Amino acid sequence: MRIKPLMLAAAVAAVFASPGAQALTVYTAGPGGLIKNLAAGFEKQTGVNVEVFQADTGKVMARLEAEASNPRADVVISASWDSALDLDKRGQLLAYASPNAAAVPAEYKGPSYVAQGLSALGIAWNTKSGTPRPTDWSDLAKPEYKDLVNMPDPARSGTALELVSGLNTFDSAKTWSLFGSLKGNGMAIAGANAQALNPVLQGAKAAVFGAVDYITFGAQAKGETIEVIFPSSGTVVAARPMMILSSSKAQEEAKKFIDYVLSDEGQALVADTYLIPARTDVKAKRPVPGEFKAFPLATEAERAGSAALLKQFSTLFSGK
Amino acid sequence: MRKQGYLLWAAVAALFVLVVMPLAFVGLQAVFPRLAEGSLAQPFSHFITTFNDPELIALTWNTLRLGMAVVLAAALIGIPLGALRGLFSTPMARLWDVMMLIPFMIPPYISALGWITVLQPNGYLQRLLGVNAGAFLFSFWGVVFVMTLNVLPVVYFAVSRGMEAAGGRLAAVGRVCGAGAWRSFFSITLPLAIPSVAASLLLVFAMAIEEYGTPAALAANAGFYVLVTGIEQRFNEWPIDLPGASLLSLILVFLAALAFFLQRSLAMRRNVEITTGKPMLAEKAALGRWRWPVVGVFAAVVGITTLLPLFAIAATSFSRTLSGGLTWENMGLTHYQAIFRVGGDAWSALATSISLGVGAALLTGLVGMVVAYSVVKTRARGRALLDAFSMLPNTMPGIVVAVGLILLWNQMFWPVTPYNTWVILLLAYSCLLLPYPVRYAVAALQQVSDSLEDAARVHGASSVRVLFQILIPVLAPSLIAAMLLVFAVASRELVASLLLSPTGVQTVSQFIWRQFEQGSVGQGMAMSMITVMVTTSIMILVTLWMQKKRGAAG
Repeated sequence: MRIKPLMLAAAVAAVFASPGAQALTVYTAGPGGLIKNLAAGFEKQTGVNVEVFQADTGKVMARLEAEASNPRADVVISASWDSALDLDKRGQLLAYASPNAAAVPAEYKGPSYVAQGLSALGIAWNTKSGTPRPTDWSDLAKPEYKDLVNMPDPARSGTALELVSGLNTFDSAKTWSLFGSLKGNGMAIAGANAQALNPVLQGAKAAVFGAVDYITFGAQAKGETIEVIFPSSGTVVAARPMMILSSSKAQEEAKKFIDYVLSDEGQALVADTYLIPARTDVKAKRPVPGEFKAFPLATEAERAGSAALLKQFSTLFSGK
Repeated sequence: MRKQGYLLWAAVAALFVLVVMPLAFVGLQAVFPRLAEGSLAQPFSHFITTFNDPELIALTWNTLRLGMAVVLAAALIGIPLGALRGLFSTPMARLWDVMMLIPFMIPPYISALGWITVLQPNGYLQRLLGVNAGAFLFSFWGVVFVMTLNVLPVVYFAVSRGMEAAGGRLAAVGRVCGAGAWRSFFSITLPLAIPSVAASLLLVFAMAIEEYGTPAALAANAGFYVLVTGIEQRFNEWPIDLPGASLLSLILVFLAALAFFLQRSLAMRRNVEITTGKPMLAEKAALGRWRWPVVGVFAAVVGITTLLPLFAIAATSFSRTLSGGLTWENMGLTHYQAIFRVGGDAWSALATSISLGVGAALLTGLVGMVVAYSVVKTRARGRALLDAFSMLPNTMPGIVVAVGLILLWNQMFWPVTPYNTWVILLLAYSCLLLPYPVRYAVAALQQVSDSLEDAARVHGASSVRVLFQILIPVLAPSLIAAMLLVFAVASRELVASLLLSPTGVQTVSQFIWRQFEQGSVGQGMAMSMITVMVTTSIMILVTLWMQKKRGAAG
């Protein structure tokens, strides 16, 4: 009685376990629609079937770790630049410099990884909230915004942690005094990125301190009364790296995929999601660095110090 | 005797493949930090790092507090309600049953989101009535409130079925002998129903300590962190800490094991055999002048548990924009139209989830029944261990079970592996949900007297025949209730699916989750409404079909 279902399962698994002759496996943390369009475009151009696993960066990396003894992924696209640097240091990436990466700025590419697109953090402000329009991070500590500001939790949002790190590098003393005032002004630490934005859209809060811009631009395009404001003192730009695993059994197809994402067609698809295209010669559908003040990319020392910053931040904001 | 052996071995084998092996890998991952790379280096080295974390004690204490509070609250509401339903002829009983199934169809994170949209400052409650309950919601008691409402159906159904089987008849005997109504309830009916009550409360405790959705949505604002949020954090911070996450899960298992042994000592040593084969009229007492107050109580509970969250989800799904709020101009069908336009994607996700749900329900129902029989009706050694193992998966967060499954099935030495096919999702759901049918069936089997079986054996029936022709029909109400719960939960399971999802397979929960991540809350809520309606219809159809069968059998 127990044997039949097992045999059935084994038969089905055998059908599925045999690898496709020409298939590429991509693990991505990217926006949902984007990878679907990229996969479709790539298949049309090269005939290579693309199989996609899509989740947030944490789950993608967890799956890669758990699969370490028998890796399955060929290309990995994550939302955390740190993950690319770490995998590279561990020697798990394939060195490849795409010919299409010429127009990508030097800080957003490396020997074995290159940015797919960039996002920046800003203030997401509900225009109908009855509060004045903020122009800088410090405006949100003013009394008009009491109990009306949200921030994604740096422990759950990689971009929020990059913001804390970037502000700390820019001016440490001023930054921590600002966080102190924000806490006194009732800023709530909200969890992941979406959990910070939704209450602002629904009117429960007025602004997000450190909102991911492309999601907010998307909401704005759908008619929500929300605006993205890039603070005058500057903000962080977070690059989303693409990399090929050295364990990949489809390395040629993987290289062609990277080339495709960096081609005109691929970068146009990236721009459609309101991300900043990695190539500077492709037109973006929203403001790009240069049109707003962007901090320089974090150095290795600064990245190493982010764990300590996280502890300092959690200690400050916990204890209600 | 030999046939009984086969049954026992079948139970052990199924339990081994479904539950023991994945959990063993979780344990191994906790001990050997480099297990994923295939190395057994540095055993136990991670223990020191993890146990040195000063937050660990606070997390564990919070988890325990939360579990106990939810059990208490669920018992306070669920037991009286279940008793009313099981012992008295409540008006519109079947309607209440269906309404109480619905909270289980709504994924916990969506229900939490729904409550946030209702109770937060400027939420629906404030727009309609001018008050908001934000301070209450984003606190320890708010989390308890939302979680209790999510798990209430488990207690309600177990208690109502248990009390129905206990029957008013024995209590009526007590009244004839002179006991008052309350005395015969507390001395006769309640003790007979204790296995069902204890079983459901154990499930509730296990669910409360491992559920991620509600604490994730509410806890950050409440400043209240539990072990599960600690586990998820180890998946979000770079580098990923798989051994630490596994270790924290083992603490959850330990807490649940304590609860399990408490439940066993409460329930197992009693003789609660009621179904002795003598014909018993399932007579329900009339309510008389208490009819309308009881209806009022049911309506109030159902209103808060089911209708409010549904209203919040529906309102958001019909709102064109979140910022537009609850105004007539903002209402529209844009999100539903978008889903229909996306076409293949949404519907294939729904079909995938429903088939997986049905598959998981059937598989766990079968295995659960065999395991329950082995635990209750055989004298095999180690059946307590069997019972305990079948309970374990309920205490493990979905994401940790998923990691165990990857570590188990993604090894090069398997000639064929279900990994990266839809079968791995079926295995994951069955592992996570096996406790339901086992708990319900064990409690139901305890109410069945051995004399039924003995009578059949005397007449020459084999063990298997006894199982199919006598025990299953008697078990059917509880088992089917459990299988429906498994279907409901499996078709909307999120966390394990997010990690295990085979390339090219998408479940409904992943589809909805992606809508939320992309900022399309309205579309996510619209898909949730559609899913809830489809799964509820399926449940109603099954329940109606069951009623017909029972009616036909007389």
